Amino acid sequence: MKDQCVGCSGGNKEGVLVEDAAVETLFHSAILHMFHCETTVAKTGKEAVDLFLEGKKFDIVLCEKEMPVMNGLEAVEKIRAIGETDVKIVGVSVDCNAMEAFMSAGADVFVPKPITLDVLSPIIQEIINKKNNAMV
Amino acid sequence: MEAKMQLNTLMANMFATGLLDDQFRQLQILHEGSSPDFITEIITLFCMEGEGIINDLAKLLNKPFVDFNKVDTLLYRLQGSSATVGAQRVKDTCIQFHKFCQDNTRYGCLDTLDVVRNDFYDLRSKFQIMVQLEQQVWTFYRKH
Repeated sequence: MKDQCVGCSGGNKEGVLVEDAAVETLFHSAILHMFHCETTVAKTGKEAVDLFLEGKKFDIVLCEKEMPVMNGLEAVEKIRAIGETDVKIVGVSVDCNAMEAFMSAGADVFVPKPITLDVLSPIIQEIINKKNNAMV
Repeated sequence: MEAKMQLNTLMANMFATGLLDDQFRQLQILHEGSSPDFITEIITLFCMEGEGIINDLAKLLNKPFVDFNKVDTLLYRLQGSSATVGAQRVKDTCIQFHKFCQDNTRYGCLDTLDVVRNDFYDLRSKFQIMVQLEQQVWTFYRKH
């Protein structure tokens, strides 16, 4: 995997980590960095929604379910409700039963923790392909 | 190089005894693609956070009235971080702990807290040795 030049095309990618746990924040940031994705961290669901309300644009959101102030499910609903339908939203949780709730809230995909490079790679590749097609 | 051999033996032992699982190899891959301190940084963070969570769990469970929702929230945090770094035994004990939590069983929770504490401290002591050996290896290769 380390020799694979993933994320080398498709231009700059911007990601949001909606996560308040420091260990996961560090790990997920490192994964996105490997895919040449600039990362913004939101420590609450509300911070994540505010980023979109400020007009910022992102290619991918990795959103944990259990978050203070506003949980991940509510954040996903609100992000979609304000018209952000293009951004790829990945719900993450140690709770494997969270998939249905995330998909109902508007996530594109659910990944149980721990995230691995093999699981995230095709998701990121899909974003790259989409950006490449948009540039043609 | 002796430190390197000791490190390899330690790692093999940690995988063989179920302290670590394959997820730790994800850290090793990211370490190679990220900063040289990545593994040290993330396992140090895990150890600090984990100790805090275990202490908070003990305080919650020793109150006259236990708020099992708060206990569960802390457990999810510990389960998440242990799953992320590949701390298999700690993660598995957290899963058992959840079941007692969902049944609102204080004494089951307290017993499992003892187990998770022992698993965590066992892992932490080995992580500390790992970091020391990594530093020795790094120092050796920098000099030669």
